[in-house]
Amino acid sequence: MSSSFETLLESYLAGTIDAEGMARLNAILKSDPSSRKRFAEVLNLDAALAAFARRVPHPEHLPAQARADRRSSLQRNRPPRSLRSSLPRAALALAACIAVALALARFFSVPAEFARVAPSAQVPELSPGTPLHSEVRHLHAGTLPLLTAKGVRLVLEAPATFRFESAQKLHLTRGRLTADVPPEGKGFTVVTPSGNAVDLGTRFGVDVPESGDTEVHVFQGLVIANSKHDRQRNLQTGEALAMTRGGNAARDVRPAAFIQHEEQNALSAGLAAGQQGRAREMLQHLRQDPALIALIDFTDPFLQGSFRSVQGRWPGSRAPEFMRQGDHVSIDVGGGKEWPQLTIAMWARLDRLGDPYQSLLHTDGWSANKPGQVHWMLISDTTMRFGLYGNKLAQQFIQNPPRSLLHGVPQSLTPLSPAQGRWVHLAAVYNADAKTVRFFVNGRLDNEMSLEVALPARLGPARIGNWDTSDRKLSGRIDEVLILGRCLADGEISNLHDSGTPYR
Amino acid sequence: MIQETELHRRFLPRFALCESALRSFIRRLVPAPSDADDVMQEVCVVLWEKFGSFDEKADFRAWAFGVARFEVLAWLRDKGRDRLVLDEEVVLQLAEEAESFEPALCRQREALEGCIQKVPPEQRSLLIQAYQTETQIHQVARQSGRTVPGFYQWLHRIRKMLLDCIHTTLSKEFAL
Repeated sequence: MSSSFETLLESYLAGTIDAEGMARLNAILKSDPSSRKRFAEVLNLDAALAAFARRVPHPEHLPAQARADRRSSLQRNRPPRSLRSSLPRAALALAACIAVALALARFFSVPAEFARVAPSAQVPELSPGTPLHSEVRHLHAGTLPLLTAKGVRLVLEAPATFRFESAQKLHLTRGRLTADVPPEGKGFTVVTPSGNAVDLGTRFGVDVPESGDTEVHVFQGLVIANSKHDRQRNLQTGEALAMTRGGNAARDVRPAAFIQHEEQNALSAGLAAGQQGRAREMLQHLRQDPALIALIDFTDPFLQGSFRSVQGRWPGSRAPEFMRQGDHVSIDVGGGKEWPQLTIAMWARLDRLGDPYQSLLHTDGWSANKPGQVHWMLISDTTMRFGLYGNKLAQQFIQNPPRSLLHGVPQSLTPLSPAQGRWVHLAAVYNADAKTVRFFVNGRLDNEMSLEVALPARLGPARIGNWDTSDRKLSGRIDEVLILGRCLADGEISNLHDSGTPYR
Repeated sequence: MIQETELHRRFLPRFALCESALRSFIRRLVPAPSDADDVMQEVCVVLWEKFGSFDEKADFRAWAFGVARFEVLAWLRDKGRDRLVLDEEVVLQLAEEAESFEPALCRQREALEGCIQKVPPEQRSLLIQAYQTETQIHQVARQSGRTVPGFYQWLHRIRKMLLDCIHTTLSKEFAL
């Protein structure tokens, strides 16, 4: 931009430009698009400053004389409106303007409000009812429910950075959100650095990681994914897409990766009821248990493996998320010793993917060299299986004969489903002396199976998430893995669940 | 016949959604803030008077911008005889480009809210006074210990600084 243009612009704004200067300014603007852009930006700023000044009360400290001068100068220089127009029109216009001005004063005494923090919010920096305008907001921990002016229900998960451009347009530069869009909100758009997601009805999720590809998941209805790097795609119920730099790539839809508003309500109620404090107390209690082998809460920054660190059950807590085949956390605990009694428990948030197996915890290896190795997994119908190398099932079972025992490995009865809560507590209690395996789901005994041969358990190097890269992948998050060298009683498992559940 | 209050109820949200864009559009085409206020008032009256015959399924914003362009041209033809104003051709070019500029200009107006907080309080107060219609610039200039030309130079520097801040903010927050 030439300095002469800037000088001309300055004198134009100051009202001191002369005829020659005005002619030059007009000539530059006529011929140079970049000068017109600059001109538009400076004048736009001028308009925004005037709008800002209108919202600030006029300062009382200006001398009274100045206000009188201003009034008299206005009266001198501007004829009354009625003289510039015919009387009936002026009267109508005046009435209209007074009415409009009064209503507008209400409208514009504050900047436009695009959304409000929903009543169930449990985020310290954004209390329920907080109006959201066009400012940039950062959510450091927790989940934030919002309701837009068009009735769109949103849940954002930390860490997130976002701002509304309007009630129908949200910019999300990082974080996860789900949107539940009523008919009035049709067209609600999430703008991300990789592209836009435009809703044409009902429910979808958008995941913008700190690094990596933005994903759009459609739980119900239709969404247009408009990537910056590829053609527009229509996504229907059960479809998901990653907007990669190389173009659109299909993904498995992962509802459990997102928090929708029903779950958000239960999470908020849990926080309000002090569940996080109860869980913390339980952890302290467990750390003092003499039989403790490991209590992994995933806060260790040096944890080995391949996973994405995301929020756990509590605001600001950490949990590994596994998405790709091969994602895992490596641990090495309880090695070099035999464990005739063993309890393994964890909180999991899983999508039903990865047939035939989803690995919960697998010790490395499965051979006659190391009898007693532990493999704990979900199978394709989302029941648990708990196997020790060398063990054999008993011919008769104490209760509930299992449906299929093709592999001769003890398994649980109830398949996991979202109805049990997105976060679900899983536990297996093994007793080599009593020759039993007991399975627990959400603190309740699900099944007990007896064994004919029950070797002491062997631990050591192990993986949580995926065990090998071919048939044992897991999609979801794992939180708080507990490994104890004793059998927890039913009541203790129940307590573990009740004090650790994030829901109410 | 539709009651006036009902008409009002329909008019206001539509008007509210494009009011700041409309004000900025008009401001870009006339020389001074007070001129923009005059034209805006005229536009507001016309929009309200003609809203009864406006097809509510049509694009209110496009209609409002059309009315504003017409009113600005009328104003320029009227005032252009004894005021130094933009050429009609430039006004038409700027009006033509308004639609494509608007999303960026809208973000810039929003980003001002953050940038203005970075101006030291004393200077911010002067800046606001300079833009308040009730004040006279020579009073504010005197209060700041500057001559009127000196005050305009200061204003220009502050605007430049704010625009730089706005550009930096937007490039950091949303490279969209």
